[in-house]
Amino acid sequence: MSPELTAFLTNCFAGLALGSTYALVALGFVVIYKSTGVINFAQGGLLALGAYLGYTFSENLALAFGLSILFACLAAAFVGAGFERIVLRRMVGQPPFAVIMITIGLLFIIEPVLTAVWGFDNLQVPNPWNIQTVEAGGLVFGVRDLWTIGITIAVVTAFFLFFRFSGFGLAMRATAFDPEAALAQGISAKKVYAVSWAIAAALAALAGITLAAGPGGLSPSIGFIALAAFPAMILGGMDSPAGAVLGGIVIGLAEALTRGYQDQLFSWAGDNVSIIVPYLLMIVILLIRPYGLLGTKDVRRI
Amino acid sequence: MAKPHRNLTRAYAQDLRLFGTPWAKAGLAMMILVVVMLPMVVHDDFWLSILVYVGITAVGAIGLNLLTGYCGQISLGHAFFIGAGAYCTAIVGGDLGLPLPLWLLAAAAVGALLGGVIGPFALRLRGNYLAIVTLGLIFVGEHLWRNLKDVTGGNSGTSVAAPPAVGPIDFSRLEIAGEVYSRNQGYFWLVWGLVALIALLAKNLVRTRPGRALQAVRDRDQAAEVIGVRAGHYKIGAFMVSSAIAAVAGALFGSYQQFVSPDEWNLLLSIQYIAIVIVGGLGTIFGSILGAVFVGALPALIDRYSADIPGVRTSVGGEGFISVFALNQAIFGVLIVLFLVLEPRGLAGIWLRVKTYFKAWPFSY
Amino acid sequence: MPHNRLALAAGFAALVLAVSACGGAGDSGGGSGGGDAGTPGTTAGFDGTTIKLGVLSPLSGPVAVIGLPLTAGNKVWFDHLNSTGGVAGKYKVELVQEDTQYKPDVTVQQYNKVKGNVVAFTQVLGTPSTLAVLPQLKTDKVLAAPASLDALWVREENLLPVGGPYQVQAINAIDYYLTEGGGSKDSKICTMSQDDVYGEAGLAGVAEAAKVHGFTVANQQKFKAGTENYAGQIQALAGAGCQMVFLTATPSDAGKIFGTAAQGRFAPKWYAQSPSYAGALSKSAVAPYMQANVLIVSEGTEWGDTNVPGMKDMVERATKFAPAQQPDYYFAFGYNQARAMTAVLEKAVAKGNLSRDGILAASKELGTVTFDGLTGDYKYGSVDDRNPPRTSTLFAIDPAKPFGLKTVKYNFTSDAAKNYEFKKAG
Repeated sequence: MSPELTAFLTNCFAGLALGSTYALVALGFVVIYKSTGVINFAQGGLLALGAYLGYTFSENLALAFGLSILFACLAAAFVGAGFERIVLRRMVGQPPFAVIMITIGLLFIIEPVLTAVWGFDNLQVPNPWNIQTVEAGGLVFGVRDLWTIGITIAVVTAFFLFFRFSGFGLAMRATAFDPEAALAQGISAKKVYAVSWAIAAALAALAGITLAAGPGGLSPSIGFIALAAFPAMILGGMDSPAGAVLGGIVIGLAEALTRGYQDQLFSWAGDNVSIIVPYLLMIVILLIRPYGLLGTKDVRRI
Repeated sequence: MAKPHRNLTRAYAQDLRLFGTPWAKAGLAMMILVVVMLPMVVHDDFWLSILVYVGITAVGAIGLNLLTGYCGQISLGHAFFIGAGAYCTAIVGGDLGLPLPLWLLAAAAVGALLGGVIGPFALRLRGNYLAIVTLGLIFVGEHLWRNLKDVTGGNSGTSVAAPPAVGPIDFSRLEIAGEVYSRNQGYFWLVWGLVALIALLAKNLVRTRPGRALQAVRDRDQAAEVIGVRAGHYKIGAFMVSSAIAAVAGALFGSYQQFVSPDEWNLLLSIQYIAIVIVGGLGTIFGSILGAVFVGALPALIDRYSADIPGVRTSVGGEGFISVFALNQAIFGVLIVLFLVLEPRGLAGIWLRVKTYFKAWPFSY
Repeated sequence: MPHNRLALAAGFAALVLAVSACGGAGDSGGGSGGGDAGTPGTTAGFDGTTIKLGVLSPLSGPVAVIGLPLTAGNKVWFDHLNSTGGVAGKYKVELVQEDTQYKPDVTVQQYNKVKGNVVAFTQVLGTPSTLAVLPQLKTDKVLAAPASLDALWVREENLLPVGGPYQVQAINAIDYYLTEGGGSKDSKICTMSQDDVYGEAGLAGVAEAAKVHGFTVANQQKFKAGTENYAGQIQALAGAGCQMVFLTATPSDAGKIFGTAAQGRFAPKWYAQSPSYAGALSKSAVAPYMQANVLIVSEGTEWGDTNVPGMKDMVERATKFAPAQQPDYYFAFGYNQARAMTAVLEKAVAKGNLSRDGILAASKELGTVTFDGLTGDYKYGSVDDRNPPRTSTLFAIDPAKPFGLKTVKYNFTSDAAKNYEFKKAG
């Protein structure tokens, strides 16, 4: 294989791995948005919380890494659902703006709690992946990256099966489509809202732990990645789970490839232009398709 | 002549008055009095600098409230315009050395121009989509600030040597009747004077035709079009006015701090502004000021008296489990949540409730 | 009843005034400042027995990892000093710590909060924060010790830097690579730097070294702090055939960078600037890779090295006054800052003037301050004559050591570093 091709494929692989993380976070955004109409700014906080919980389970309680992931996701889901139950349920019918602000408030609460409990130091999550690699076809793959991609594929598949075939998935879709009609059919909107938050939080926690299992370890700023997942969510269309996954992959690839070819192709645009590529891509696509690639157009009434 | 009952409004003109009731007039006079007197009474540089920053924030928040509260366009890009105003001041006020009114106006012009460029996005995008696109503006902006080294000084930032002076009046060293006032005192008057001026202008804007048009666009833009409001024009106009005011806030920020760097115009700043207009109350000018005071002064209060709060660690190696800032942030978060759960209309909503209570007194309910 | 209302309004106004009258006591500082040699008069921050010093540091937020140990270093030195009686054997020192969260505007607010209560600032952390308070330091005539190794500080009379600037580190590191590290000027020397002021300082040093030694930098990569994906940069460095990469980063990014390089089987000689390293890295999964390929350029000696008197004392004092303190070179940095500030205070007390002017004057008359091997000796004096240390120490990673670092070459100076000129900030 020529070095150019190797470089290209390696960049693509890095993009896929990054995109998988974005996809998980964006999927969490979409689940909440679709069922409750709220953009959850606390997703990054839940991600960090999940990662720290994972650290505690695997380091302090010395659980197997797989179990730690599972427990961290469950715990995060519990927090998410609890927040919905205690706070957000009171906000039904209030302007969406106030609700968004409340999720920002939640973010502000989570952060200091994390640092008060776990401190500011960089922590290493005991895990079997780290910087292990496997070699195949002349390319070197990071084990963690492979797992991230694999987990994302599995989760996304499970997710779609759940929505498509399970009774509760159907209820969630119905509530998202028309909450009042769903209520009239005997679907508990409360339950649907709580479950959406639980799912979103679990997805965030999953993304958090897979990130923290890398060589950089775990620090309180890990939640920042959720910001980069915003374009992924928007790009795909805010109410489209498939769009979130597609958006995540597209954004991840775009970022990794611009980074990879910064010297050859993008040096005119300034250093580190790859950081803003997700946003630029998002803006361009939105100007062409104002509701994202797969989002539904609002029907507006006068 | 028999006086009308106090709640009675008999004409639209009365409804539209800026400061109609005696109450409002008295309140206004009192606020002016407080602003004029405060720096003479409070000499403490800490509180003065907090209040100067609060005033600057209030200016920016009024701008955002016009856009978000009155026109219904959510913008997370406010920090971008504030940064643009600060850099503009570094050049116009600092490098060219022009006097205060000119660098303020130049910043406003640059802000309006940038707002005019960004505004058209609002024609194509709505609601949350617009919010996230303006969020992109923050990151694109940061990239620009880091790379346009001639204008912004790149990563190292740039000093802002804009003189807060016009002619013989120098706000960094005011001399009134033989008495010399410090830089912080001077800036307090300058900034809060501008808060009053901009609040007045904004208030005037929203009570007249354009203001009603903005609110029509906010409530339902297509219906507004039907009744003859050119929604597109007003959306772009709202962006321009809002970012012009934001740039003025940035200009003040830069000249007060005398140094700015690209790290300051980040998402957190935008979120802080959003928090201010929501906590203060969407669609109220007074609420923006209340919100700025609340969001700016609360952390300062906690910070000042943190030593007396049990469990707070005020020094390295000291007792306690939570640092002052962490506590601050947590309290801030809890307050936002509590506030909005209890009063989604924000501080201005509470103010309104108090007012109605006393209006109907003694028949309050 | 308009009358009632008016009365009420007037009463309320009076109330507001009364409340605001409780505001503050003013900032004039009071006191004469002057005094007799050895017994300075009272002044702002000095009540005749205790000298108060300000600390403006990020005690929370992402940079707290640096701010906390640094401030602990300040504190341990002064605790030790106080246990021996204090400045000039009689004046105790007290620190007034304020959290800046690494934000320039918060730093300005906190500066205003405490400036009336302190004689000087023994720590202002962060280049942007320092630049933000610098104009006020100048107008208020206050002395502050910046906690960053920026070359800009050398020629500012209101600042009291310690340690060899980042530029010196970079120049010495490259010199070592070219002379003893197996490189030549035909080697492919590259950089990987954080896209901010700190990264640029390192790049300036590399550029100087390139000029002196006559090589061209083969490839330069930049990254934004806190990103997740470094595959592109590592690809580019590997593609350019880099044999030596000079890295400026912070620990968590450095971990990701080394991890990505390890995964990509890219193994040049990495020379990383001191802030790229934290003890946790030596216990992480990338430690074996770092042991094989990474050198850290810093100053002083390894933690707990009893051969260096300064280190021996410092570890003893740390154990005594801050038993929970983990080995950390930011701690040593804070400790050194406090020593430099103490030298200034001793001088000012000897001259009998602890006022702001007195302290500034004392800082100009300070000769060379020695740090017992914890960092190079710093020649103070008037700003144009100041001469920062030009020495660096190279460390390799060794998980068995307390801080995970083992000395490779102690306290060396290259000619290029000796001749490097520090200019005034533009």
